[in-house]
Amino acid sequence: MFNYSFRWNQALNSLPEMLQGALVTMEIAILSMVIGISIALLLTLFRLSRNRVLSSIAATWVEIARNTPALFQIYMVHFGLGGFGIHLSPYLSLLIGIAFNNAGYLTENFRGALKAIPETQTRAARSLGMTPIQAFKNVIMPQMLRISFLPMTNQMVWAILMTSLGAVVAMNTDLYGVTSELNARTFRTFEFFAIAAVIFYVITKVITLSARLLAARLFRY
Amino acid sequence: MRTALFTAGLLAATTLALPAQADKLDDIIASGVLRCAVVLDFPPMGSRDENNNPIGFDVDYCNDLAAALGVTAEVVETTFPERIPALMSGSVDVAVASTSDTLERAKTVGFSIPYYSFENAVVANEKVEMATWEDMKGKVVGATAGTYEAIWLEGKVKDWGEGEFRPYQTQADVFLALSQGQLDATVATVEVSEANVKSGNFPGIKIVDKAPMVPDYVALITLREEYGLINYMNLFINQQVRTGRYNELYKKWVGEEEPASLIVDGVYR
Repeated sequence: MFNYSFRWNQALNSLPEMLQGALVTMEIAILSMVIGISIALLLTLFRLSRNRVLSSIAATWVEIARNTPALFQIYMVHFGLGGFGIHLSPYLSLLIGIAFNNAGYLTENFRGALKAIPETQTRAARSLGMTPIQAFKNVIMPQMLRISFLPMTNQMVWAILMTSLGAVVAMNTDLYGVTSELNARTFRTFEFFAIAAVIFYVITKVITLSARLLAARLFRY
Repeated sequence: MRTALFTAGLLAATTLALPAQADKLDDIIASGVLRCAVVLDFPPMGSRDENNNPIGFDVDYCNDLAAALGVTAEVVETTFPERIPALMSGSVDVAVASTSDTLERAKTVGFSIPYYSFENAVVANEKVEMATWEDMKGKVVGATAGTYEAIWLEGKVKDWGEGEFRPYQTQADVFLALSQGQLDATVATVEVSEANVKSGNFPGIKIVDKAPMVPDYVALITLREEYGLINYMNLFINQQVRTGRYNELYKKWVGEEEPASLIVDGVYR
């Protein structure tokens, strides 16, 4: 039986600290998306290229990023590299871990989007005298980004939620880190985590709604 | 329609969440089982033997308490942060989990009198030049999230205004980070520090100094309003010391020296 009396005053007093943590969470998520998208574009090019080495780099990256837990990826960035004497701060470990995961998933999104674009467009662009790079940059990529825009916002939501995994690499300034530290000090577990959940919900909801509005604006035919 | 359903659900949930009237002490005796939350990655207080069975000071303490109550003990493994949710959600009756009795926590849970007391040591990576605990100033330090020593150390880092504090999730991660050199130093109980230096699982670490903290008195915890059970646990702890069982458990799990004193000079309780 759930036997607990809720007392909110302590938790509500700590709201400013938690909102500060939410800012750090957003910062990490945004940075990880910027890095993730850049790497994913690169990996997509690698995949398209005829070069065996490049395409297998892309394939390996996607396989590992998509088929192992994000928790493991972040842990390995911190403790795995740490074993080789490469010491990254908790912030960087978390950022790199999430960016790695983002890049893998986004590459796969881009692949799906590419499949939706008829092959003939490339040929048409090439027959107009564009080089392969130009054809990709001016014709294919804009459409690819448009098609994968909403999946990208999904990944952004994931990135926000994944920041809570930073706890395994001693991250204590993001929303989850701040919350769990307040919890350790006061033992008001349910109040603090309920508030954190609401903040997470609001952030992700705002992101998905504004992305939808943005998409409606940007991608009107 | 959906709103009505939602309201009905909320109402049902609220009714169910109302505190039960029966006393927990009676409930335990009636059910015949005492469920204890124990942290099992915290040797010598709690760990697992080679057959994966829970062992340690806290495990024996839970068994003793169950025997005193005339019921069987059930050890439920939790991490340090999970102790309270386990208690609040009713999946355990008490936590025998080396819980430091801070005043801030006492606003939320009910503490017994102390049943053990820890002293803390400063442990550093061998490559770091350190002679006293004060040399931690300006260094990258860390401890197990949510513990007494972590709260103390983070406070120190804030006071110093330089250096960095990192709370890892488990004691093992703290020592891994220390051994890799990601942390310059940590503060951990003398018992854990000595065990980890001796075990050789974490090469390249050394004990530097004692941490100048008030001894970390730890107590049994249960829900704040369960006075009957708290009263019982207080007497139980007193009897453990009186009958020599405390000494016996100390010898078995910690060492040959005098067991840590549970008396604070110059004050009652």
